Amino acid sequence: MHEYSIASEIAKNVLDAAEKQDGKRVLSVQLDIGELTLLNMEQVTTWIHELFKGTMAEGAKIKVRTIKALIRCPSCGYHGRGTMDPEDPLKHLIACPCPRCGSLAIQIEKGRECVLKKIEALR
Amino acid sequence: MHKFIPDGALKMKVIRPKGPEIFDIELDKDLLAKNKALARTNRRAFDRSKIMAIDVMGSVGSGKTSLIKAILRKLAMGERVAVIAGDLTTTIDAERIKKEGARVIQINTGKECHLDAHLISRAIKKVDLEGIRFLFIENVGNLICPGEFPLGAHKRLVVVSVTEGPYTVIKHPYIFREADVIALNKMDLAKAMKVSASQLEKDAERINPQASFIRTHAIRGVGVGRIIYSLGLRSYRS
Repeated sequence: MHEYSIASEIAKNVLDAAEKQDGKRVLSVQLDIGELTLLNMEQVTTWIHELFKGTMAEGAKIKVRTIKALIRCPSCGYHGRGTMDPEDPLKHLIACPCPRCGSLAIQIEKGRECVLKKIEALR
Repeated sequence: MHKFIPDGALKMKVIRPKGPEIFDIELDKDLLAKNKALARTNRRAFDRSKIMAIDVMGSVGSGKTSLIKAILRKLAMGERVAVIAGDLTTTIDAERIKKEGARVIQINTGKECHLDAHLISRAIKKVDLEGIRFLFIENVGNLICPGEFPLGAHKRLVVVSVTEGPYTVIKHPYIFREADVIALNKMDLAKAMKVSASQLEKDAERINPQASFIRTHAIRGVGVGRIIYSLGLRSYRS
């Protein structure tokens, strides 16, 4: 549901940056999104396209890369990927237990980012 | 346009040339991290004024306002408690809370589904924080988005009611993981709703074993004392 506010934030940042660099057209936008964020990227990109209409970024390609989750377990010292069950993709969001000792009190180091990585523009 | 980033904060590296006219602008900017940074600024502002802030989250109709009212009544601290009431467009909740004697700051989010740290920083600049001990921030009714946007509060209270059905907790792990205290409200209706409070409690424990889980009936004041104690408000009472 907060896809709209994230999309408008991305669109504003893209247009501001391109304008500051005297861009004439934005060709593409690169986004890196953590797999543990609650963002529906299909909605985000739809909103970005919509917000870009009538601007120099209209029609720009939105490229989305996924940042894999990285967790650390203070109880057993495990450091690595979370428990990803392909049969149950939401399981990691529900509990995300340590794959080694099963502790639920894990720390999430990566996977909650929403990064506007770079823009490709035409002068 | 909605924003929580101050203007002029853009850092960028320009790489060129790629072709005759194409160039890359490297931004590498985490938009969610910006909110977290602003939340830390809010926290420092609360700490400077010796205010303890509580973010109150929950679905539409879960009883957030009723529970806040019940807490205010029990604390009986009048204007030493302030409430930021977040709502899409109306002031209904703000009016309800005002009756309990607290200072009320209304934020209308318009089309936004959650409060963010930027909106809070603007709201606290508008009021005199002098003399306030506790600040309740009533988030917009929603179990999804507020989980992604910390506001800088010291404690997070999630209100869930039995009328939301037996699966609300397990279906929204994100917000419950962030909670310090979970209130299971409208306990008087549990039987009629055929909802098992102990199952909801088990679900909550699976997601967040650290959180306190308290059964409440806010309108009657049931469980409100335990909420106050679990949030650590009682020791602040002088």
